[in-house]
Amino acid sequence: MSANYILKRIALIFYTLFIVSVLVFGITQILPADAAVMMLGENATQEALEALRQRMGLNDPVWMQYLHWAGGVLQGDFGTSLRTGQPVGPALFSALGTSLTLAGFALIFMLILAMPMGVIAAIRRGKPADLIVGFISYIGVSLPEFVTATLAVMLVADMWGLLPPAGYIPLSQDFWGGLERLILPVVVVSVMMIAHVSRMVRSELVDVMHTDYIRAARLKGLHPRRVLFRHGLRNALLPTITIVALDVGYLLGGVIVVEEIFSIPGIGRSLMSAIQNRDLPVIQAGVMIMAATYSIVNFAADLMYAWLDKRIQYD
Amino acid sequence: MSFNRRAFLKTSTAIAALAVAAPHLALAQAEPEQGGTLRVAVDQAISVIHPLLTRVNPEYLAGELLYSGLTRLGTTMEPEPDLATSWEADDDLTVWTFVLREGLKFHDGSDCTSADVVASFEAILNPELASPASNNVGPIETVEAIDTTTVKFTLSSPYADFPAALAYNNARVIPASVISDDFGSLRSTAIGTGPFKLVSYEPDRLVVVERNPDYYDPARPYLDRVELHVFPDPGAQVSSLIAGDIDLVMTIGPNDFMRLEGQDGVDAQRVASGQFCNVNFGCDMAPFDDVRLRQALALTIDRQAMVDFMTEGFGTMGNDTPLNEAYPFFQPVPQREKDIERAKVLLAEAGYPDGFEAELIASDRPAIRTQLAVALKEMASEAGITINVTTMPHATYLDQVWTKGAFYIGFYNMQPTPDGIFSLLFTSDAAWNETRWNNKEFDELIGKARAVSAAEERTALYTEAQALMNEEAPSIIPAFFDMLGAKRSWMQGYDIHPRGSVFRLDFAWLDGTAPTRQG
Amino acid sequence: MTDFLRRLLRTPQGFLGSLIVGLILIAVALGQWLTPYGPADMQALARYGAPSIEHWLGTDQYGRDILSRLLDGARSTVVMALLATFIGTLGGAVLGTGSAYLGGRADEFIMRTVDAVMAIPSLLLALLVVSLLGSSSANALLAIAIAFMPSMARISRSVALAVRKQDYVSAAIARGEGSTYIILREMLPNVIAPIVVEMTIRVSFAVMLFATLSFLGLGAQPPATDWGLMVSEARQYLHRSYWILLWPSAAIALTAIGFNLLGDGLRDALNPRT
Repeated sequence: MSANYILKRIALIFYTLFIVSVLVFGITQILPADAAVMMLGENATQEALEALRQRMGLNDPVWMQYLHWAGGVLQGDFGTSLRTGQPVGPALFSALGTSLTLAGFALIFMLILAMPMGVIAAIRRGKPADLIVGFISYIGVSLPEFVTATLAVMLVADMWGLLPPAGYIPLSQDFWGGLERLILPVVVVSVMMIAHVSRMVRSELVDVMHTDYIRAARLKGLHPRRVLFRHGLRNALLPTITIVALDVGYLLGGVIVVEEIFSIPGIGRSLMSAIQNRDLPVIQAGVMIMAATYSIVNFAADLMYAWLDKRIQYD
Repeated sequence: MSFNRRAFLKTSTAIAALAVAAPHLALAQAEPEQGGTLRVAVDQAISVIHPLLTRVNPEYLAGELLYSGLTRLGTTMEPEPDLATSWEADDDLTVWTFVLREGLKFHDGSDCTSADVVASFEAILNPELASPASNNVGPIETVEAIDTTTVKFTLSSPYADFPAALAYNNARVIPASVISDDFGSLRSTAIGTGPFKLVSYEPDRLVVVERNPDYYDPARPYLDRVELHVFPDPGAQVSSLIAGDIDLVMTIGPNDFMRLEGQDGVDAQRVASGQFCNVNFGCDMAPFDDVRLRQALALTIDRQAMVDFMTEGFGTMGNDTPLNEAYPFFQPVPQREKDIERAKVLLAEAGYPDGFEAELIASDRPAIRTQLAVALKEMASEAGITINVTTMPHATYLDQVWTKGAFYIGFYNMQPTPDGIFSLLFTSDAAWNETRWNNKEFDELIGKARAVSAAEERTALYTEAQALMNEEAPSIIPAFFDMLGAKRSWMQGYDIHPRGSVFRLDFAWLDGTAPTRQG
Repeated sequence: MTDFLRRLLRTPQGFLGSLIVGLILIAVALGQWLTPYGPADMQALARYGAPSIEHWLGTDQYGRDILSRLLDGARSTVVMALLATFIGTLGGAVLGTGSAYLGGRADEFIMRTVDAVMAIPSLLLALLVVSLLGSSSANALLAIAIAFMPSMARISRSVALAVRKQDYVSAAIARGEGSTYIILREMLPNVIAPIVVEMTIRVSFAVMLFATLSFLGLGAQPPATDWGLMVSEARQYLHRSYWILLWPSAAIALTAIGFNLLGDGLRDALNPRT
């Protein structure tokens, strides 16, 4: 992989963020709410509102407001929350940290379960194990998170009292207490990904095992397990990296729902309450940060893919 | 306490829940103990801790912990001394003098004097700063410091309820130096005279405060710390209370109340209140400018069924006036009953023999607004009235419908006094004149009552005002809600307050069985 | 065609999927005539009812019959999901094939922009669009259609490009067939097949996305009978009666499973290789 390719990919990330910024700025401009009213409250006088609009530049043409905002973002200034009057950036980045903790655990949990499930289903194709995995994954992709979360809280927390029903404690503050509260959200947010990824691993592996390359290895008399792990799995894993990276977009969406139900102060909840309260600067910054996260994860996945691909060719 | 309990008895004798709720009132007599951390669940983010700018109940709670006002509301809605120890008015109730406690200290150690009080009220009244209190503290014309502990308010018109109005949630005293230097700094820090000092503040998650050793009452507060945990999902609050992660849930819904009633170690709390959800008519807009149409719709409502649908029985019937037994100076006026025949006659007289169709707007928060709209839609259909319910996000509602719309659902906390609610919503010069009813006779009655201190005379005036409102129906008030909350039994010295935005946690304490008092 | 149907019904996924989707479509078409009660009829004395002879699935918080509400809601929930998917696919297909047809810089520009929009999670994109347009079923439909467009554009573009390179197309060109014939007889059927498979699976996403939007308060609004809204409303009454929550959840899950199975069955039937 050439430096040229990497540069091109980075340029693409910036293009992506540019498009997203135009989009989200446009949307927040048309939202039916008056930023000055949001900031001063319902009983502000007309004069006070007008003075604030002047000060915030709300009377400037839209393109000027965009340039002003985008200029700030480039310098790391995401503006001031209309609701709290606090700078948006620091609050959102700390929320992002919380969400990434949740998403990170969810990814690990998903891989630990989905990989073996997919492999077993592929090896035992058509056998009961395959059917069971298939059945689980059909159920998994068919339940929205808020349903799974509601059922999980009702059973695990309320009826059996095994885990805390909600709340969040930073791991740095109380590791085990924090971990305990992360279990349910992590499981809920990964259910659909487990279903999706295990199916992908299965079908990739089934395809790979049918290739001439694997047939040749078998004909050479290599041990079936060696064929599976050294050749089959490696080749099947490559596309899986891309799929998992694309699923991160889905994961970031799922986080919105799960954070709402489990009272986790992540970026999804910040965005949700910003959308409810029409806190425009927070919406803008939140969407930008989510899009940036997604782009960076996919970039990293591409790099990893290229790196692994090369190694396989050298093998 | 006694009034609290009496109001409770009056309004809910028929309901068995009383038997469960009553014993803890007796328990609260025990001697308070020091120490422990109280963990409170609140249902919305505490986005604002600036005491002059807070707008929702969890924010009011933070404000109350960190700051004090001149007066505060007791459990009976009577104004009690807070920073002021005594007050008096001249004969026509326009000049009020308040005497402050000696030796008051802000959290940063500086003195709190009459100069700070004057500066605070000037800030509250300053339209540039847009404090919600400016509409609620009464017709203040000037504030002056007479000496370091005496403050004189001159009002533009007589106001008998002035001390209660000064207990408004946003009428807090902050340092004059902060107002002149950096008014906005109180959005992230707190310098008050309240029973607790700010330790940490994360709007979406957690606010932590600790005991203020320099509080004016050396005995209080009893708690070492209070933590306000934000739970956007109501079910999660209650689950956490049952799990013992939380000691107090500020407000819960009727279903959660029933769920908690049988639980060991949990006290479900309830008090009758003047909180209500109403249907507002734009009385200056067709077709609702026709009083017969408004009366007809009011007549379609089965009020007992409405109490059941909206509150599961945890409420009282409304009579299209904002007052009920929870308010002082209250006397009932004849109850409006469901009468479909009469409604049809009125509709025909108004020129709608086949009924009419209208769009009823409800904001999506709290959900009870939509419940009222949906139930009304069904009830009104009996008289041939077709109501189409439109639900919209709260922010859009505030922007486009609130105080402007022709037909929409409102939701209000109980106010400390009858005047508080009448002149907040229904007089011509009301801060939030939702109905634009603008009835001169009504305005006069309310105005007259403000200048009277004799209780009997005020009751008579308010009853007359109620009768007028009931007759003209500028707004349908079908039901009042009881305030519901829940706490762990190890938390003592706390009763849910009918106002909904008064908490008095400086009186609360934890007994030896509370988890945060062990170890 | 019959041959294709036979192949579809012979796979277990295809058979089960067709069965479930068939039943759901019957409920959609005939639901309003099958309801035992009016979906909005409140009965003050029969609230929070468990399943019984009178109310097969029980009653909800207003004493409304859950079965009637489910049948009534089938129409809006499923038809909305189908429509949203269809509009999203159509928009995406036009964008994708158009981009493939234009090629060169235009193709590059369109696809990069599509990629950029895909960086916004589809739930978030739908949330933004709904909050822009206002919460209602119709706007949620549009929001989901828009959220689906970028990925459908990607898929249809790659399918279109791949098909153009196929042997049978080259063969047709070699035979000297006209381009109309090539596009209609050779390319289109082969472009449509994979898109139909993807679309079928997407319907289940759409059902769930609708439900999630309603849960977050930005989709259908009370007193509508959308299944997602029913679940979302039922959450606060969970401890009075879990039936209110259970039935619409099951309906959502069943619909999603049905379309997923049907999609997989279609894929196998259209692509006999595996």
